[in-house]
Amino acid sequence: MAKWGMVIDLEKCTGCQACSTACQMENNRLPGENYQDVLYYTEGRQPTPTLKWFPRPCMHCEEPSCMHVCPTKATYKTEDGVVLIDWDKCIGCKYCMIACPYGVRFYTDEKPLIEPNIKQVFKGDGDLSWNPPYKGPQQDPKHGVGIQPNGVVSKCTFCYHKISKAPKGTADLDESNPELVEYVPACVRTCAPKARYFGDLDNPNSQVSRLISDKQGTRLLDHTGNKPQVYYLTGGGAAGSAVPGTRSNKKA
Amino acid sequence: MATQTQGSGAVSAVLMAGLAGLVVSLGIAFFNLMSGGHSAFNTGSDGVSWGLPVVNYVFFALTSTGLTLVASVAMTFGNKAWYPIAKRCVWLSLVTLVAGFASLALELGHPFRMLWAVPLNAQLLSPLNWMGIFYSVFLVLGILKFMRIHSGDWSSGTSKQIGLAALVTELLAGGMLGMAFGAMAMRPMWYGNLVPLYFILTAACTGGAFAVLVTCLTYGGTDKMPEPVRRLMQGSLPMAFAALLGLTILVIGYRTVIGLWSNADGLQVWDAIVASPWYWIEAALLIGAFFLLLQRKALAVAAVMVIGGFFIDRYDFVIGGQLLPLFKGSWVPDLIAYTPSTTEWMLTLLAFSIAFFGWALGEKMLNLGAAPQD
Ligand code: SF4
Ligand code: SF4
Repeated sequence: MAKWGMVIDLEKCTGCQACSTACQMENNRLPGENYQDVLYYTEGRQPTPTLKWFPRPCMHCEEPSCMHVCPTKATYKTEDGVVLIDWDKCIGCKYCMIACPYGVRFYTDEKPLIEPNIKQVFKGDGDLSWNPPYKGPQQDPKHGVGIQPNGVVSKCTFCYHKISKAPKGTADLDESNPELVEYVPACVRTCAPKARYFGDLDNPNSQVSRLISDKQGTRLLDHTGNKPQVYYLTGGGAAGSAVPGTRSNKKA
Repeated sequence: MATQTQGSGAVSAVLMAGLAGLVVSLGIAFFNLMSGGHSAFNTGSDGVSWGLPVVNYVFFALTSTGLTLVASVAMTFGNKAWYPIAKRCVWLSLVTLVAGFASLALELGHPFRMLWAVPLNAQLLSPLNWMGIFYSVFLVLGILKFMRIHSGDWSSGTSKQIGLAALVTELLAGGMLGMAFGAMAMRPMWYGNLVPLYFILTAACTGGAFAVLVTCLTYGGTDKMPEPVRRLMQGSLPMAFAALLGLTILVIGYRTVIGLWSNADGLQVWDAIVASPWYWIEAALLIGAFFLLLQRKALAVAAVMVIGGFFIDRYDFVIGGQLLPLFKGSWVPDLIAYTPSTTEWMLTLLAFSIAFFGWALGEKMLNLGAAPQD
């Protein structure tokens, strides 16, 4: 069984947000509630502040604190290493949102992050939070895929509706391989400078494994012990690309 | 020694006020929740996921733990002087827990799903689960204990065992609630292995405050209290309460200084907490109450001050731990601007109304001033 993981090369990432947009369309996300987001922040002060950016999906942690706190086991880890939410079991307690160090989870039953409230424009059927004009994957509540229902929490699934259909034993889901392109997560497939890689972390010959070892892949907030399955390449930070150990809003 | 009372005029007034509060809060909260769902709250995925309704829950659930502690002084630890308030405390511990649960139930996305999803899929690693189990078990034990003492069985072996079991489950529940926050290593504002102890200590304070307040309301002033009650309220109770409160004020002070001193990401929120007038109002209320208790004066006022002070403390704790967003979205401000919505405040009113209405009803119908005959 594969252990799916992602590598993001910060030296290549241009902060264009194509990944966020692709993810939003693929997963029926509401505006502003992006499973995959690029965080922008400034470092330094006048006169030499620098604008930085940092792409951040769910880390699909090896030790997911979101899963450990979930009272109903609605949040679970699949055999192939993906952390998912069973929307039929989620009671909307939001403890997982409290316990995720990476802030990647969303409760949709709240004031819209961006006005006008698109949920009112495209009203959802039944308990679905909205009815997007474009249609993403089929509704699969057991894996937290599709349009988010009211009263539950959602997050990035590594596009589980795609990767779970990949041929067994695949080392890398590379969008340049026509036979695999349909199984590649939307953010990886769309990334123009090819800053994202997706593959089997347990396979020492996969491209992701080699990149992590050759280019010293690092993980965000490693001290939390969550052990993300998303790795970042920084090139030693030479190009100003670095994994922020902590936010820039430290005490003044 | 029987200290029966039919309740002073204050009990009837509280009963009516509680009922009015229930009608208003339920009316407004239900209307807003039915029409807008949880968007009637000001909570959001960009940071504050647990808003005022969770503050209400923590406040009242811990008050329930505290009241059980107060009741146990006589019933478990054998200090007979505390018997005249014991039955009242057992009843109130049940009512306050219901008040807390009510606020939480209206906050959950799927409260009814919880009823089957938790027992069928219990995640044993989740502190929330254990907290729920212990509080639910307490609810049963507390009702059993109340039925026992209501029928006059204060000290049979079974009655004592139920009382002890109720006390232990309440302590475990309050401690687990502390762990629900204290185990969050990713949030230094909450993290720490002594948080369960902090919760139990502060629980005892709010439990004591509710016990004192309703006892004063029942009789309407110390001079009108039956002798055993008056002796307690002018004797060991305010002193024990003052000692406990003094210790807790010290702990809050140390928590604040540590928060301000340390650099860990997330503790910046302490600067904001201390810069807010509410922090100093809390300090003034708690320190003022401490001196009133020491002088055994104006006990009801002191109790109200303690309740107010600790409500602010719970707010600062629960909300403060979330004001610094964890790697969330683009351009998120340094500290999230969160103020509770009207609907959220209605849940606060609801919880207080349930607590006071429930207490006054008990006072009228269940002879809460009863104590063992010998
Ligand atoms: S990043 Fe957060 S939501 Fe994703 S697996 Fe880790 S703890 Fe869970
Ligand atoms: S909100 Fe849902 S997924 Fe998150 S901890 Fe609660 S039950 Fe689990």
